[in-house]
Amino acid sequence: MSQHSSIKTWFNSGKPWVWLNAGAVSISLVMVVGLLLLIAVRGLSHFWPADIMELSYQEPGQPAEVLIGEQVDHESVPAARLALSGVQLPEGQEFAQRTLLKVGNRDYFGLDFRWINDPWITDVRYPEDIMAIERREWGNFYGYLVNVKQEGEVVASGEGAYQEFVQRLARSNELMRQIKTLEKDDIGKINHGLEEIRLEKRRLQMDDVPEGTMPYQELEEQKQQLNDRYAKLREELGDLYQALNRDQIMVRMSDGREVEIPLAKIVQVYKPNGMGISEKLGQYFHHVWEFVSGEPREANTEGGIFPAIFGTVMMVMIMSVLVTPFGVIAAVYLKEYARQGPVVRLIRIAVNNLAGVPSIVYGVFGLGFFVYFIGGSIDEIFFQAKLPSPTFGSPGLLWASLTLAILTVPVVIVATEEGLSRIPRAIREGSLALGATKAETLWRTVLPMAAPAMMTGLILAVARAAGEVAPLMMVGVVKLAPALAVDNIAPYLHLDRQFMHLGFHIYDVGFQSPNVEAARPLVYATAFLLVLIIIVLNLAAIGIRNRLRETYKATES
Amino acid sequence: MQAVNEQKNVARGIDIESMQRGPRVNLANETLCLEVKDFNLFYGEKQALHGINMRIPKNRVTAFIGPSGCGKSTLLRCFNRMNDLIDSVKMDGQLLLDKMEINSPSVNVADLRRQVGMVFQKPNPFPKSIYENVAYGLRLQGVNDRVTLDKVVEQSLKGAALWDEVKDRLHDSAMGLSGGQQQRLVIARAIAIEPEVLLLDEPASALDPLSTLKIEELIYELKEKYTIVIVTHNMQQAARVSDYTAFMYMGELIEFGATDELFTNPSKKQTEDYITGRYG
Repeated sequence: MSQHSSIKTWFNSGKPWVWLNAGAVSISLVMVVGLLLLIAVRGLSHFWPADIMELSYQEPGQPAEVLIGEQVDHESVPAARLALSGVQLPEGQEFAQRTLLKVGNRDYFGLDFRWINDPWITDVRYPEDIMAIERREWGNFYGYLVNVKQEGEVVASGEGAYQEFVQRLARSNELMRQIKTLEKDDIGKINHGLEEIRLEKRRLQMDDVPEGTMPYQELEEQKQQLNDRYAKLREELGDLYQALNRDQIMVRMSDGREVEIPLAKIVQVYKPNGMGISEKLGQYFHHVWEFVSGEPREANTEGGIFPAIFGTVMMVMIMSVLVTPFGVIAAVYLKEYARQGPVVRLIRIAVNNLAGVPSIVYGVFGLGFFVYFIGGSIDEIFFQAKLPSPTFGSPGLLWASLTLAILTVPVVIVATEEGLSRIPRAIREGSLALGATKAETLWRTVLPMAAPAMMTGLILAVARAAGEVAPLMMVGVVKLAPALAVDNIAPYLHLDRQFMHLGFHIYDVGFQSPNVEAARPLVYATAFLLVLIIIVLNLAAIGIRNRLRETYKATES
Repeated sequence: MQAVNEQKNVARGIDIESMQRGPRVNLANETLCLEVKDFNLFYGEKQALHGINMRIPKNRVTAFIGPSGCGKSTLLRCFNRMNDLIDSVKMDGQLLLDKMEINSPSVNVADLRRQVGMVFQKPNPFPKSIYENVAYGLRLQGVNDRVTLDKVVEQSLKGAALWDEVKDRLHDSAMGLSGGQQQRLVIARAIAIEPEVLLLDEPASALDPLSTLKIEELIYELKEKYTIVIVTHNMQQAARVSDYTAFMYMGELIEFGATDELFTNPSKKQTEDYITGRYG
């Protein structure tokens, strides 16, 4: 009896609930931290310049071979599974260790990843001379440097060859950079100018200006000038390419073959086995920086993801700019001006339910309404000359942002209404008693005080929008955007352009990539970056909110 | 309940005009400011004010006393049409401010409220700086000239006896002031736009005795320039600060008179009961 009552006391003391709550919180925390750790470790370890091993490998019944590569994965597999792939283990052994080796050299070996079974490895070495070469095409190359050539003539071999190679590589990368600038900026501008002239001509035709008159001649002249400039640039470009293609290196692969690689195809080279920890760290951050700031190569499995970061941030910011005023105005009307009654209640229920509509539905709506209807109309009115090729009538950044704004507007409305209803009546009356009208009271006192609540709404909206992928596929996101939405051609901000997005990038690299093993770490790294960006965006918004709260403290009292 | 109804009937039976104009109230030497004639007010179906007739003289302090729910705050809020904010309110009768019909549709409510300022029970400074709180009303009128604002802010704060306490931190948040200081700031804010009438709705009920004393001294000084109507629960306060007192009960004006006389020699039994603390 007394035991029963002591349990009851314990129960009534509320302790079990405290434990339950604490337990729930810790489980959530563990899950979040675990998730972040997993993607961080998997994603970030990809950039580490791992040691490259050279193995002597002897498969039973096959000639002995030498393999060079980075260890990517290591696992133990049951005998039954190995048997399926034709590998027989000795009797009684149930598990075997195997290693996934990134052997690179895809253009020569066909596959750049290879599973090898540990028992057949006869020797492992880490020679310092092995180079890892990152190439613009075909992925990494692993091998030994034989010599360095200039226009086919050997200029260095043996001891000093690597030094010479690194120097010449710096030169070719500089040339490459010049070529990029020339092609993208200068020639891009000329192309843009030519397109403008074509459109101007088309406009003249549509206005029924007869051919061969003054305006046409002027356009022809301009076109001629542009073409001349283009020819000059072309020549310059030709020279640069010639200079770029001057040098080559001879390299020896693991199977002993010697092949030639033009320096123009190489991004960078390093010898991880000879590196100290600080050098490796340097190389690591170099890789990370390249990933964050570079453009993707090789169907998005190599290079960086800067366009995707840029697209994501751009889209979220444009969405914020669109959604905040819209949501706030709607909330002010609903809360302050609309007559509270069944209609307003119905609208409020509808708004709340809008937040629950599957996002892909918004995508369909965005495509049908924004892109085809509004975009199509804009094209017909303002960009007639460009038709039939669409300007705003095709998916693009503006439409994606608008679609997400519609998707997130319920959150902002609800949060703002909440904030408005928390402003004390006394404050409103105080303002009215000084001769302010309702609108003045709203504008000068109530809205500033509700600003933290609006920011809360915006924070939730940003969190939702940044992670959304499905609707974006319909209204503007692409696998590879040819140009960023901001560039040096007027009007500098091109809201009609398609863009890349981290969420879609993850999907694309993870599911649409031809090279699964190469893509996998990038999926993690990109996911980690996406989480990081959402955190940064949120922290920024929270910072602003806290400052606002500090300023308008009275709401709390 | 029976007794109350009887009392009501008695009150209705008496000619209210004569009651106010009787020997007890001599307003002959006063200029009139506010006038209430046969005023009724309903919250939906419920009648909150019954046939009020009252004349409030200029540059005097008039106190409304009476038990909670007797309608004194409701009446006060009619003078600057604060009751407009409540949808279900209906009124009839006349409210005059200097012969002008307050409830007339042609009256601009914002202008009216500039003439009839109001201070509420709980201090309600805006979450802005002290300076901006006082300048609020002027900025509403489009005054943004720094020199003018500085001058008015200083004068108003001096007028509200707050200047010496805050002159070194005008640009700090008003939320950092004490309750009593906040209430004086609110008064400064109200007098910054130089209203004619100042309505005080239990201005000291949320304050400690010392702050209350300061507010009372302030009221005494302010009546030089403004007509003050104050609602209070505190009868000593009414006796201390006011020149005239109105006693209200159950939505009716029971007695209106010069404060000295009303407190020393009430003509109604109800008034006497109330001020001697027998009920209410």
